[in-house]
Parts: sequence; C-alpha cells; structure tokens
Amino acid sequence: MKSELNLKKVIYGLGAIALAFGLWGFYLRFFVGERLVNYGSYVVWGLWVAMYLFYGGISTGSMMIASLDYLFGIRLFKGSGKIALWAAVVTMPAALVTIAMDLGHMERVWKVFLQPNLLSVMAQLVWGYSIFMVVLLAALWLVIRLESGKQDARPWLRFVMGVGLFLSIFLSGGVGALLGVNASREAWHTAMLPAQFPVFSLLSGCALMLTLLGWFAPADEKRPQQLRALSIGLLILLLVKTYYLWVDYSQALYAGTPVASEAVTLVLFGRYGWAFWLLQLGLGMVFPIAFLLSRRFQQSPFWSGVVGVAVLVGIAVARANIIFPMLSIPELEGLAQAFTGPHLNYDYYPSLMEWAVTLGVTGGAALAWLIGVDYLPFLKIKTQEVAQ
Amino acid sequence: MADEEKSMRLSRRNFIKIVGVAGAALASRRFLGGHTAAANRPRVELPELPAPPANADADVLLRMQEELARALKKPPSERRWVMVIDLRKCVGCHACTIACVAENKLPPGVVYRPVIEKEIGTYPNVSRLFVPRPCMQCEKPPCTPVCPVNATYTNEEGVVVVDYEQCIGCRACITACPYGARTSDFGYTYTEETPVADGLILGRERADDYERASNFEYGKGYDRPGDHGSPIGNARKCHFCLHRLHEGLLPACVTTCIGRATLFGDANDPDSLVAELISKPNVTVLKEELGTKPRVYYLV
Repeated sequence: MKSELNLKKVIYGLGAIALAFGLWGFYLRFFVGERLVNYGSYVVWGLWVAMYLFYGGISTGSMMIASLDYLFGIRLFKGSGKIALWAAVVTMPAALVTIAMDLGHMERVWKVFLQPNLLSVMAQLVWGYSIFMVVLLAALWLVIRLESGKQDARPWLRFVMGVGLFLSIFLSGGVGALLGVNASREAWHTAMLPAQFPVFSLLSGCALMLTLLGWFAPADEKRPQQLRALSIGLLILLLVKTYYLWVDYSQALYAGTPVASEAVTLVLFGRYGWAFWLLQLGLGMVFPIAFLLSRRFQQSPFWSGVVGVAVLVGIAVARANIIFPMLSIPELEGLAQAFTGPHLNYDYYPSLMEWAVTLGVTGGAALAWLIGVDYLPFLKIKTQEVAQ
Repeated sequence: MADEEKSMRLSRRNFIKIVGVAGAALASRRFLGGHTAAANRPRVELPELPAPPANADADVLLRMQEELARALKKPPSERRWVMVIDLRKCVGCHACTIACVAENKLPPGVVYRPVIEKEIGTYPNVSRLFVPRPCMQCEKPPCTPVCPVNATYTNEEGVVVVDYEQCIGCRACITACPYGARTSDFGYTYTEETPVADGLILGRERADDYERASNFEYGKGYDRPGDHGSPIGNARKCHFCLHRLHEGLLPACVTTCIGRATLFGDANDPDSLVAELISKPNVTVLKEELGTKPRVYYLV
C-alpha cells in the first residue's frame, strides 16, 4: 500500500513536470507555428504521427480489454473494466490532440465533418474516432449508472461495448490502412499492415492493463490471478508480434531488391538502429518475454507493472520505426540534393517542440487517469467487488 | 542614448558617403580620364543581332504560343495539357526552377520544379544527366483520393490542383505522391533574416513587400500573410501555371528554358508539337510501372 502511494507520487510528479514542459511546447506550436518542427516535405510525418498511432493503439486496446468485463462478463476481470475504460477515455484525446498538432490548418478540422471525402481512409478515421469518443463517453455514463446500482444500464452497456469493440478493431486496422494505401511506399503497401494493427492495439491495451492492475489495483485475492491471466495473454501477443516482425523483415530482406529492403535496413542499421535493437527488441520484446516466462514474475505486481511499461516503450519505438524510415527514402534518386531549403530533408530527428508536446500529452494523460481513479467515486475499485 | 545612436548613425552615414565619393572619383578617373588597358585595345565591330523571327517555325516557343491560343478556344474539358521534357537538350541551368520560384513566389522550402542531377559512368567515360521534375499531373493520381476533404483534385483540364482554402494541411497527399512532387509551406520568407538599419539599408520591412504580395496562383490573389493563413500550412505543387495559361501565356518554366528542352501544349490537338513528340518511340515517363499515367513525358 505504501509502495503504491510512493509510486503514485512519483507518477504525479513526473506527469506534472512533463505537462509543464508540454505547455511550453503547445505555446510554441500555437504562437510561433509549425516551422519549429523537424518533419517537413520529405519526412512528411514525424514523432506526432507515430505517437498518435501509439496513443490510438492504447485507447482502442484498452477498449478491447474493458470488453472482457462489460461485454463478455468474464468473472476474473469483474470490476477491472472501468480502469481499462477510463484509460481508453484519457488516451483517445491524447491521440487526437497529438495528431491535431500535426495539421497545417487545425482550425479547418470541421471540414472533415461537413465536407468530407468519405472514400479517404483519413476521413473515415476522423469520423470513426469521433464516434468512438461518443461510445467511450456513453459507456462511461452507463458504468456510472451501474455503479450507482441501476441494473437497467447493464444491457445497454453491453450493446455500447459491442459497438466499441467493433470500432476498436476497425480503427486499429484503419491506421494500418492509412499507411498501407500508399502504393509507392514499398514497406507500407502490404495487406498485412491493417491486419497486424489490431493485434498491436490489443498488445498495447494488455500491457497498459498489466501496469495499471499491478501498480494501482487493491491487493486482493483476485489480483495475482488477473495478473497471471494478463501476463499469459501478453506473452502470447508478444510472440505473435515477434513472428510478425520476422515475417515483415525477412520478406523484405530475402527479396534482395533494394527497393524492398531499404526501409528495413534503415531500421536495423540506420541512424535509429540503436532504438530498434535496445528499445524495440531488447526492452520491448526480449526482456518482457524472458520475465513473463517465469511464473514467479507473472504474479509479482511491481514487476508486472515494469514489464507493462517496457512493452509500451517498445511499442512506441516500433510505431516510430514504421513511420520514419519509410519516409526517409527519397522518392527519386538525387531529389534530396536537387533543391535545398528548410524542411527539405530526409534525415529526421524530432525537434525540442515535438518532444515537448509529446511529453506534455503523455503527462497529461497519466495525470488525468490518476486524478480520475483517485477522485472520481465510480472509478474506485472495491475490493469485495473484485473478489466476488 | 538616443543621441548616441543618432550620432553613430550619422557617422556611419558619413562613412558611407566618403566611401561613395571616393569610389565615384576612382571610377570617373578610370572611365573618363584615366588610361586603361581596355582603351588601348583595337576596336572590334560586333555583329548585328538577327531580327526576331517572323514565323512560328523559327522558334518552338512561337509555335507553342500559337497552339496555346488555339487550345484556349476549345472547351476546357477538350484540352489535354501535356509537358514534354527533352533530356538531351537540358543543360541543367536551373532557369526553369528559378522562373517557377519567381512566378509563383515560392518561399524557402517550397519547390515545384527542381532539377535532379545525375552523374553517369566513371572517368574517363562520364556524362551528366539533368532531370527536371515538375508535378507529373497523373491521369490516375495517387495524391487526390487520400485527401480527407477533397482539397486536391483533377480539374476539368486534367491538371491536379490544390484548393488552398479547403486544405487542412494533413500532408497525406505529399506522402502518397510517388514523385515527391508536393512540398509543404511552413511560412518562411527569403527576406526574413534581412537586417534592419533605418536610413542605411532598405531593410526587411521594405524588402519583403515583394514576397508578401499576391502570387496569383490558380487565378486568385494569395497574399503571404503573417498569421499562418493559406498558402502557409498547405501542401503546394506545380499546376502547369494555370493562371498564365488562361491568359494565353506558356508556363514560366517553358518560356525560360534556354535550350527549349521543356515543351508544352494540348495533346488532344493532333497538329501540336507535343502530340507529335509523345508519339515517338524515344518517349518515356517516370515510374511507368505504377500505372499513374503521368502527363509529363521525357524524351531520351
């Protein structure tokens, strides 16, 4: 209990610092403009797009996890659904704010609603996210009713969660399609991408839930079993992800043609090779798999939380490794040298403002989740409820 | 403090005056009174320049100008604007790039028509290839269907255009373009680092007047505002100088090409120069395998 409090204090402190740093970034973005970013006309999408994929994946994945309780009624997860649902509620705005920062004219977002091109994947996603937010809020409202003893909310909640689960899969796959439809980008243009993304989302949701339950749920008799079930789920998903990674990279490298292998070579041995080997593979996959194989660690609340965070860091790096390297390959040989100017660069590293906004959004989402759990009465986990 | 600044300014002004007067004196001695090496050279009679050609056959520019006038008499949907770039004639002077920048008042970081340079072979068998790369104006453009708000589309003349007021700046079209032919406007001006020194130099506030004035792309006046309004924040691209075409003028890159390597016209006109050229076997397009059907052809 004491260690949980200390951990909360640390996260409150880190979240506040990150948010303050982020506010400075937001100030720069709004009052100085987009010129302080390092992405541009060649590396078109940068850290913010990668983080939008990351937060969006966590949100939709958390919705999938919440459905274990509210849609499928799995007894083991009874009472924990609201933690996952609240995580989905706070991370979806984080995703949307991050991607809004990336727009050259964010004041025109309304046009996607009133004058959309509904055949565009991006427009479909914007509509999908908006509906998803409504679904999340509706689910939250129904949970509040349920918590106050109004059992008539239960069938409605089940229906709303069903819609939410469908949207979670659709939106996760949609993000893969957003990249995959670019036929001239060899590493993206594969039907596997939209198929893989829902798995990545589920993995994100599972990792976050492992951390939240491990670090912040009351230490009742059900928690070790919940942690164990989530650990096994996470282990399977990590093995599937490892297989996907092997399939993607081996296909590209064995093809032997530069156009197919260029992006993968950049990921493995390029400027960010260290991030792949140390963070994505080492911290995000090898370390968690090794730990999760041990039954002793599967039931350790603290280490479960650590493993969850390690997996999330690995996923964040993986998202960046999907975006940056593919865009770092010139469309035509010699184009990089043909004309020079600001933002005409194939060598991307996020600017301080990009980091500030990203950290601010992360800090804001973490604080929002903690404040909700600490101060909103309906989010409190009752020990007896979990133990039922 | 103000007096000190004023006296410094005056002394600087005096210094410039002194330098100017001294320079003028030296120059007048050189050109008016002094004995120079040039004055001792024998006088050479320069040949007279020939009179401008009177008929269209004399210069392809005149022929294309006539064809343009003919095409403009047709309904827009019956025109098929095509650009042909003769790589054998391109000398890599970049005049087209500069003309495009000047015509469309492109800011730093925005380019519609860079010239890609390639060195081929190894010494002593070396040659250089110059590939101007405007927007390919694809018949099947991958950049338009990805736009979430229909801000970029193919107009009735077959030119892929951008509605700056509609564009939300998501850059999905830039990602989708296989030719890297779109760039994003991040709001720079070439003159923004120009120093300001009242009374001594023109200074940034006057120098950027030209950059901030309208550029007339798409036949509209797009000023360059300081408040991030369009075209700042938008994806931008070559549009075959539509605003010039509608006034009966060829695209800026065509008129400034010193080798007449860039040619333009209506491919639906069987008598046009471009229609003749794109029916030859030495014609090619970039990334043909994608099936985007570019309307920019290269002669090799």
